[in-house]
Amino acid sequence: MLTKFETKSNRVKGLSFHSKRPWILASLHSGVIQLWDYRMGTLIDRFDEHDGPVRGVHFHKSQPLFVSGGDDYKIKVWNYKLHRCLFTLLGHLDYIRTVQFHHEYPWIVSASDDQTIRIWNWQSRTCISVLTGHNHYVMCASFHPKEDLVVSASLDQTVRVWDIGALRKKTVSPADDILRLSQMNTDLFGGVDAVVKYVLEGHDRGVNWAAFHPTLPLIVSGADDRQVKLWRMNDTKAWEVDTLRGHINNVSCVMFHAKQDIIVSNSEDKSIRVWDVTKRTGVQTFRREHDRFWILASHPEMNLLAAGHDSGMIVFKLERERPAFAVSGDSLFYTKDRFLRFYEFSTQRDTQVIPIRRPGSTSLNQSPRTLSYSPTENAVLVCSDVEGGSYELYTIPKDSIGRGDSMQDAKKGTGGSAVFVARNRFAVVDKINNQVLIKNLKNEVVKKCGLPIAADAVFYAGTGNLLCRAEDRVVIFDLQQRTVLGDLQTPFIKYIVWSNDMESVALLSKHAIIIASKKLVHQCTLHETIRVKSGAWDDNGVFIYTTLNHIKYCLPNGDSGIIRTLDVPIYITKVSGNTIFCLDRDGKNRSIVIDATEYIFKLSLLKKRYDHVMSMIRNSQLCGEAMIAYLQQKGFPDVALHFVKDERTRFNLAIDSGNIQIAVASATAIDEKDYWYRLGVEALRQGNAGIVEYAYQRTKNFERLSFLYLITGNNEKLSKMLKIAEVKNDVMGQFHNALYLGDVRERVKILENVGHLPLAYITASVHGLQDVAERLATKLGDDVPSLPEGKAASLLMPPAPIMCSGDWPLLRVMKGIFEGGLDNIGRGAADEEDEAVDGDWGEELEMVDVDGLQNGDVNAILEDGEVAEEIEEEGGWDLEDLELPPEADTPKASVNSRSSVFVAPTPGMPVNQIWTQRSSLAAEHAAAGNFDTAMRLLSRQLGIKNFAPLRPMFLDLHTGSHSYLRAFSSAPVISLAVERGWNESASPNVRGPPALVFNFSQLEEKLKASYKATTAGKFTEALRLFISILHTIPLIVVESRREVDEVKELIIIVKEYVLGLQMELKRREIKDNLVRQQELAAYFTHCNLQMPHLRLALINAMTVCYKAKNLATAANFARRLLETNPTIENQAKTARKVLQAAERNMTDAAQLNYDFRNPFVICGATYVPIYRGQKDVSCPYCSSRFVPSQEGQLCTVCDLAVVGADASGLLCSASQIR
Amino acid sequence: MDPFSPEGELINLHTAFHTGRFAAVASATTSSLSAANALPARILQLRARIAISPSSAAAVAKELASESSPVDLVAARTLAEHVASPSKDGPKDKALALSQSDGDNLTVQLCCGTILANAGQTAEALALLAKHQGSLDAVALITQIHLAANRLDLAVAELRNARAWAQDSLLVNIAESWAGLRAGGEKYQAAFYVFEELATAPPVPLGGDGEEETAGTAKALLGQAIAELHLGRLPEAEAALGTALERGPDDADVLATAVTLNTILGKDAERQAMLGRLAKANKEHPLLVDAQAKKDLFDSATAKWTPKFEVEA
Repeated sequence: MLTKFETKSNRVKGLSFHSKRPWILASLHSGVIQLWDYRMGTLIDRFDEHDGPVRGVHFHKSQPLFVSGGDDYKIKVWNYKLHRCLFTLLGHLDYIRTVQFHHEYPWIVSASDDQTIRIWNWQSRTCISVLTGHNHYVMCASFHPKEDLVVSASLDQTVRVWDIGALRKKTVSPADDILRLSQMNTDLFGGVDAVVKYVLEGHDRGVNWAAFHPTLPLIVSGADDRQVKLWRMNDTKAWEVDTLRGHINNVSCVMFHAKQDIIVSNSEDKSIRVWDVTKRTGVQTFRREHDRFWILASHPEMNLLAAGHDSGMIVFKLERERPAFAVSGDSLFYTKDRFLRFYEFSTQRDTQVIPIRRPGSTSLNQSPRTLSYSPTENAVLVCSDVEGGSYELYTIPKDSIGRGDSMQDAKKGTGGSAVFVARNRFAVVDKINNQVLIKNLKNEVVKKCGLPIAADAVFYAGTGNLLCRAEDRVVIFDLQQRTVLGDLQTPFIKYIVWSNDMESVALLSKHAIIIASKKLVHQCTLHETIRVKSGAWDDNGVFIYTTLNHIKYCLPNGDSGIIRTLDVPIYITKVSGNTIFCLDRDGKNRSIVIDATEYIFKLSLLKKRYDHVMSMIRNSQLCGEAMIAYLQQKGFPDVALHFVKDERTRFNLAIDSGNIQIAVASATAIDEKDYWYRLGVEALRQGNAGIVEYAYQRTKNFERLSFLYLITGNNEKLSKMLKIAEVKNDVMGQFHNALYLGDVRERVKILENVGHLPLAYITASVHGLQDVAERLATKLGDDVPSLPEGKAASLLMPPAPIMCSGDWPLLRVMKGIFEGGLDNIGRGAADEEDEAVDGDWGEELEMVDVDGLQNGDVNAILEDGEVAEEIEEEGGWDLEDLELPPEADTPKASVNSRSSVFVAPTPGMPVNQIWTQRSSLAAEHAAAGNFDTAMRLLSRQLGIKNFAPLRPMFLDLHTGSHSYLRAFSSAPVISLAVERGWNESASPNVRGPPALVFNFSQLEEKLKASYKATTAGKFTEALRLFISILHTIPLIVVESRREVDEVKELIIIVKEYVLGLQMELKRREIKDNLVRQQELAAYFTHCNLQMPHLRLALINAMTVCYKAKNLATAANFARRLLETNPTIENQAKTARKVLQAAERNMTDAAQLNYDFRNPFVICGATYVPIYRGQKDVSCPYCSSRFVPSQEGQLCTVCDLAVVGADASGLLCSASQIR
Repeated sequence: MDPFSPEGELINLHTAFHTGRFAAVASATTSSLSAANALPARILQLRARIAISPSSAAAVAKELASESSPVDLVAARTLAEHVASPSKDGPKDKALALSQSDGDNLTVQLCCGTILANAGQTAEALALLAKHQGSLDAVALITQIHLAANRLDLAVAELRNARAWAQDSLLVNIAESWAGLRAGGEKYQAAFYVFEELATAPPVPLGGDGEEETAGTAKALLGQAIAELHLGRLPEAEAALGTALERGPDDADVLATAVTLNTILGKDAERQAMLGRLAKANKEHPLLVDAQAKKDLFDSATAKWTPKFEVEA
């Protein structure tokens, strides 16, 4: 029994679980009803209105209601949200034993000592039926979960089943309610809407409890005769099936378990007993010391039970619900029912692997607790509590993942816990001797190791290491050196989870998570108020864990937060990106997609990955008060700034982060005095005088402004301030400004104007303004004040500031890495065609307006010259498959190193030889170092006779297919063959084909690079790249026929470019021959090029022809150019101008060997057009066409094959041979 | 008691030797060992020094030049001389002579077996090594000779025998990985696990005066890299090899593997750099020898075609 929650109280007589919330109602003998949260362990509410014991209580399934019945004869219906009793149903004439809501109708059934059962409508608050028939106290009555039945138990020693079908029919229309009121009396006496269906007799004493099976037609009852009886019924009768004996006092309550085939009963003998329904035997007994049990209740949805006794109640589970599982890479092994199952995360494939328990064995809490898996040996260790802790070792057969039902004979042993410590070693705890036994897969002890602490469980901690758990600590123990590597005081640890890189470990206890390093150095601890269930590390080192009702995260620095809430507990098995894989309590694999934004953001912030932070700010809706508060608290107001739209918050954050620009913008938007003032203060702190000035101006703070001008030495503005003060008639302001300016005359004038003549006089005379002083003296007449004697007066001038005007050197504010980044959002990738502008694509053309039009639409189609695709079916000197036996099969000279007569073994066959025997692919021969045969193959297949260009490829292939292993020190190196396409299913001793240095995707990359070089006008470079592609293709090997076609296509593409570029380069060489230049430029446009390249070629040809006054031809190119819808406006414009110019004068200055109306191909050597119908020869490899005179020459395009040679065609995939 | 058994004093030294911590072995303090183990320990240290580099081997040869007994030292000196200048015939002849006269001595078996194997006299080497009395070193060497001769079956049989008596010894595991790398298939993965374990296990202090070492020697990392290379996990192989290059920048085998890997990855610049470093580290490395041989082969093979082509032209 796994106790989840316990209370101490008066005797508990009634219990009821809430169907959704973690609540339970307990009605007490003292008259109080308690509402508990059993998860948090808190008393939520108490309802104290009954007088005397409350024996029955029941939650409504969906409404916020519950019903209670007590010894005060009252049935009360309560609303727990309103914390009060809604109404009381009166009618019973004695104690009420049980009350229950109907699952569907607004009914309550109650059982009473008045020998009746009553059914009430709680909406109309009336009794709608009275069931009479029992002739003693009715101890319990309850509705059937689905059918129109009621079962009751009575001290009259019977159990009765009542049919209430008639009652249900009557409630179809609400109008019947009124009708029924009048029928009430007939019901009372006639009892037509509820009739006794069966009377079950068999108990020798009063029956205390009877209950239906949730699905089967079974009833279970418990009585004072200390027996539990099992009854079965059908449509017509009911009979006793069996009696379960064992209780030694009155059985008070009994019920079927909703999910397992068991019966649970409790009794005044202070025990709870669990019985097997099918075998009718006792399975388990739980005893209490002093308390008699009175009531049982089961949770309507979850696997929870509760029992009330003399001094309180307990909420408990019979069995653990956590499926045992082990994760290894992409695979998850877990147990469900009696099978070991396998789940693949990537494919979400779920298969049953092997049975691990015999069918039909229901023993509680004997199911596997933990699994440990060794991927290399494909073995599983299953630990369970059987016999006080034992393990079973299963080897998973390779191929029999399937339905097999035969039990494997597992290797078994006892021990507290067992776990793999190396690929074929596992450790078992021997608690008695406080040691671990290291065993091999044959279950033989290979080593014994004393443990440093009294550990009762061990966990994996890297190869050869164990993490040992004791009550109050964990240690990591090295089994080889027998030393303790790390030690940490912890609460009792239940599970551990290693991070993917094995650098950190999460230790999970009941209510805490401790993150430690691999040496058990404490990193952080998280405390939870409710139980921690499971956890896994994500790829970024964030620990994702679940509690009973939340998925949460924990960052490396200990920050944690909720990702989402959970309805039911889950057990996380793996976190991959933002998908959480988990097992639920039914052992089903689920994947939950979570929003990882928040913790990824926080993590990026923590790791100072500001680029990530920025892209997240840009791309996601990360916002909310919590995030801003977090950022501010963590000292990133500048980051928070980017989330906030509210100007006031923005202003505050900007001031916090010293971002004066944003602060100004916000202050402008808010435009309140207080904000301007604060802006001024911050700007002053930073030394940004301009903004200080602006802020003061906005608030019309003239004093401060004047002083600011004074200290910045801005006399000009200061005099303006003086004027303003004058206008405003602000004498003090005037005077101050005058003082700041050192303007004595002004001061005197001000003093005079305001009537301070003596002061004015003194000021004037002290500063030596004699004329003014005299004038004032006359005004004053007799009242001329005397000047102080013996003091030399001097004009006090404000000192000139060191720096005048402008800002002071600004305070360096930590400038956000963010600001810079956020400002250059969306700098688009440069259009490829723009690059061409700088390139070598011919000069700009000066245009003159001309008229004239020329017609004739030309679409020169280049004939690609399909390569003959016949594949050689047989023959050759190399295609016979020798199928030599693999090397392991060579005759076994029975070598026993101990034998006295030594026979030296003969050398075996090198891998190279095996490779070449099997293959007719030139590349594989070259890789094997068999250059000679490789060349013969190439010659035969592709007509290649010139191998010099292939030299580096051959050598690379050979180098790339061998590695060298220096095994024993100073001894010879072993050469190892590198194979292609290794996968896990490859079996040893069968040689795969050699690894090849070149592959198709490389060529595609190269092709892109070549295109780019062409676009940029780097023709030599482009040509070099194209030719290198052409030279690599003969040594390419691909898998499928589809890819073979792609390779062939590639040859054609590349060939066209090579030819075109060769011509273009040639054109540049012959500067003086204008006609030939035009011809080559024209031919170039007939090579099969990519659209941007074609456009450039057309412009090129157009320009050349136009310059040479071949206007008609130029016009043709211009038209073709326009037909391509050029994206660059300039190109189109030039083309249109050429067209216009040509239209006026549709002539050609020189005759070209170029007839664009007639389809042609170009000879690869002589660069002359071969019009359709003319004879030609082609290259067997690249399929370039040549004039017949070139036959027997080396192909000038690919530089490999001989023109016109016989060849069987490209062979570059094993699939072509099959 | 077998001095190399797990309870023995030499186990750490022996393990360190086979994981490639040669410098640490050479500088380890051996004074605390019992008298019986002093000689085996010294031999291990000498072998470690020989393994470090040819020049270090030359120093050993010089140091032992005057030693004539016990025969172990003579054998070690012969090996040192051989490694210092592999082309000389003197040490080979000496090795052959020693194997005749003192074939029952384990050091003679190992040192002379190595020399003979290097000289291509595998039959003699195997005959000599067959005389060993339960030495894992000898088993490992035999395994290697079989592998080099493409007799995987014999190597596997040898190891199966050894596992019967040596159980889970580290060296058996390592030698199994060698065989595994030749066998291929799932054995690659098994080999990878062993090398990875070696490469990540923290080094056991040997009491030498050398600096504190980090986990993973060049040799172990190289094994890991090769296994990964064979498993087709090229980025991982590159990473492991990178670490190996840090640990042993002049290790010819590491450089050779780097050449291979960079060839596969198509990184030509790196490959040329590695080739240069390899040539500097060991001109005689099989990779270079083989590459040269293949170049010549190519030229001679091309020669068959070229004249014919020219005639046609």
